Amino acid sequence: MRGLLSNRVGSQLAGSAVLFAVLVLGGLAYASGGAPTRDILVTQMLINAIMVIGLQIYIGNTGVLSFGHMGFAAISGYAFALLATSVERKARIVPDVPLGLDGVSLNPVVAAAAAIVITVVVGLVVGLGLARSGAKSGAVAATVITLALLFMVHEVGGAYADLTGGRNGISFSVGRGLDSRLWVFLALIGAIVLARLFKSSRIGRMAQAAREDDLAARAMGINPARGQMVALLLSVAIISVAASLRVFQLGSVAPSTFFFDYTLLTLVMLIVGGRNSIAGSVLGVALMTVVNETTRHLADVEIDGGPADILDIVLRPGLTDIVLGGSMLGFMIFRARGLIEDWEVDHWLRKRLGRPEAMPAPLQDAPAPEPAQLSAVDITVDFGGFRALERAGLEASNLEVVGLIGPNGAGKTTLLNVVTGLVEGTEGSATLTEQSAAGPEARTITGSEPFEVARAGLARTFQNLRLFPALTVRENVNIAALVASRHRPGGDRPTVEQLLVHAGLWELRDRRARELDYGNARRLELVRAAALSPVYILLDEPTSGMSNVESVAMIDEVRALASAVGAGVVVIDHDLAFITGVCDRIYCLDQGRVIAAGTPEEIHADPQVQAAYLGATAITETG
Amino acid sequence: MIDLLQSLIDGLGRGSIYALLALGIAVIFGVMHMVNFAHGELITVSAYVAFGVVVTAGWAWWAAAPLIFLAAVGTSVAIEFVAFRWVRGSSDFTMLLTSFAVHFLVQAIFVMTMGASVRSFPRPDWADRVWSVGDLNIQIIDVVVIGATAATMAVTVYLLQRTMFGISLRAAAEDFDAARLMGVRSNKVIRQAFILAGALAGIAAIFFLMRTGQARPTTGLSPLLKGILAAIIGGLGNMQGAVYGGLLLGVSEVLLRSWLPEDLVGITDGVVFALIALFFIFRPQGLLYVRSAERV
Repeated sequence: MRGLLSNRVGSQLAGSAVLFAVLVLGGLAYASGGAPTRDILVTQMLINAIMVIGLQIYIGNTGVLSFGHMGFAAISGYAFALLATSVERKARIVPDVPLGLDGVSLNPVVAAAAAIVITVVVGLVVGLGLARSGAKSGAVAATVITLALLFMVHEVGGAYADLTGGRNGISFSVGRGLDSRLWVFLALIGAIVLARLFKSSRIGRMAQAAREDDLAARAMGINPARGQMVALLLSVAIISVAASLRVFQLGSVAPSTFFFDYTLLTLVMLIVGGRNSIAGSVLGVALMTVVNETTRHLADVEIDGGPADILDIVLRPGLTDIVLGGSMLGFMIFRARGLIEDWEVDHWLRKRLGRPEAMPAPLQDAPAPEPAQLSAVDITVDFGGFRALERAGLEASNLEVVGLIGPNGAGKTTLLNVVTGLVEGTEGSATLTEQSAAGPEARTITGSEPFEVARAGLARTFQNLRLFPALTVRENVNIAALVASRHRPGGDRPTVEQLLVHAGLWELRDRRARELDYGNARRLELVRAAALSPVYILLDEPTSGMSNVESVAMIDEVRALASAVGAGVVVIDHDLAFITGVCDRIYCLDQGRVIAAGTPEEIHADPQVQAAYLGATAITETG
Repeated sequence: MIDLLQSLIDGLGRGSIYALLALGIAVIFGVMHMVNFAHGELITVSAYVAFGVVVTAGWAWWAAAPLIFLAAVGTSVAIEFVAFRWVRGSSDFTMLLTSFAVHFLVQAIFVMTMGASVRSFPRPDWADRVWSVGDLNIQIIDVVVIGATAATMAVTVYLLQRTMFGISLRAAAEDFDAARLMGVRSNKVIRQAFILAGALAGIAAIFFLMRTGQARPTTGLSPLLKGILAAIIGGLGNMQGAVYGGLLLGVSEVLLRSWLPEDLVGITDGVVFALIALFFIFRPQGLLYVRSAERV
């Protein structure tokens, strides 16, 4: 038992069961011995929980704010109602229903299943659109597309009366089939388990990495569109189940059933507890249900002694919405990540039951890698009218450390960006040549997506530090290792834990990346790149913002890490001591052109370099 | 040909209001990098002020107009002070949701205090008059709106190009940190941006309300959405683009209404949303987007 609970999946299942039990038992305890309205309230709460978990899967993992999920719910709700309502009832309320639906009356369970299929297909189409629009965390275009979906469905629901029954919608009684709470329980536990397993799945974690930093994720070999699509389909399927259950429970569906009010309610429930946590979603549902009931109750109390009954109608909806809107605003200002952020029940279970982790064996140097060659030739880049690079290039073997120096604006980072696929060059190409069984094999990497370049073996860091801030140190490195295990050849690579020890981050492994001090954050970015098991590590100013002592220490760290994973290094830096200490060969760029190349000594002696970059005084100082 | 000209005038009349709102949204996006979904509430507040002074106090429209304008400016500044100031620099997700929260909150306050029902107020009597030139039927209000918008734009361009305020604002929109280092005071420039956006929305509100003559808690929703769409069509943060986006949206709406087959006229808005979704899918960066070097 103890072993099962401390195991990863085992503890997640146990944690999900705990969540389910707490919510259901709490609800049932409240309902028992109360008025029948309490019973309805509890069922509503459980259905809301399924709905909110559905939202969590997409919004939580991808960070894309979707207002369209209630549009999906409406599609599902209408599909369910149209398929499940009896033929006679339909003849009365939607006599001219198209598509031969007038003769269809399915068992509610079958109708709900059909509604899932229909909604997921719509989700697939919308998802392709979102991917096309370059959806990422906080992207406005994605939010507007989903908002457009919500309004579109609402419009059609209200105006296409032949199909939807217009403003009054479709009300029905489908008899037995879903009226047992068992279906709600099943759907709820299913949703909780699915959401929890997805959060820790390979693809779920990749989606979270892209949520934290889209660019860094792509540079680590992740295709954000894929994780977003899987999350969307999964979340739409769960939303669809919840929508069928809600429509069944209400006995009707109308344009207002799934519109702004319900969007607001479910979104607030999601963010109050913590949108990145399943436990948080459940907590939010429970909390907001209690708060809502209390305000409703308060409104009642005021009315009893109040002047007119008419106030009752006015006050109630307004007050609830003020509480909801106020909660949303308050949480965004004071605690945007929610009450428990991304905590889960199984974190606690494992902490209590898990054995302390042993420090891994120290890292050995990797055997000398098969020789490889990175070459960029005649790269030209124009930004508008400005020519950032003019026929620049570099050659680097994976057995050496190659430096790139030059004054600000010389085009160093741009060259790196072209090679890693972040910027499209006007002309020129970069190739990566590796040894294979059939001899040297050259692969053109210009024109590829950044994630393809990363998978081909080029791992990079960024000048302005791009970690996945809300993820832990270990998780940051783990993401890269996950990509490596799928897309990089070779089996015998250092473990994530070994790399962390090597970089001196072992003690900090469970800290969030955003909590690290600057030097450790730089180190983490370096280790994350190494964990991709790359042919080359490309470093963009690894010592910027560091003191001299730290820079000198960085020389050893870069060299040691490169030989531990058997990768070549291309490094951009300003710090002359660092670059001279770390590099075997140096290229000097000025105004987009390569003006010199050679060993550090040759570069120091080159008159053009002295004139363009170092200046005579710099030479005498360092030389 | 006449039909097209007619649609163009009608469309520009509508589009002018969108353009004014979109420009305000673009100005705020420029300084805060936030899409302000609470921008429509400026119109909602103005609508209730209009209802209050025109119906309850019995004022004439010419006297009510300045008050409507001031209501929008005041609300804009108040919202910045109460909500947006505290989330400045947060993640895009947080700011987006904050503005939605303000949107919902203002709406709920009106539901609670004024009720959900529609409050109607008389429109100025010249608003419905039509001026016939040959086969063209030109609504007087369209002419007034287009003229007023053009004048407002001229003043705005002057403000942005020639005054210290405009230069700081544009600098802040270009690079907020650099602007601060050059001595632009962030609190001040953001407050001024909200004043400008509020003023633009105030002028839009005057004409929007003259046309509709209604106040209800959701009054601001439709113009808000159109304004945001226009701002994104123009390329978010691109002030010139926002104006063109608004005019384009207005004209295409009118054209769509006259071209759409009989069956679909009932769901014109649905079709507009579908087209907009398609637009963003294929051009998420907007129409007038200039590629520039991304700092990485």
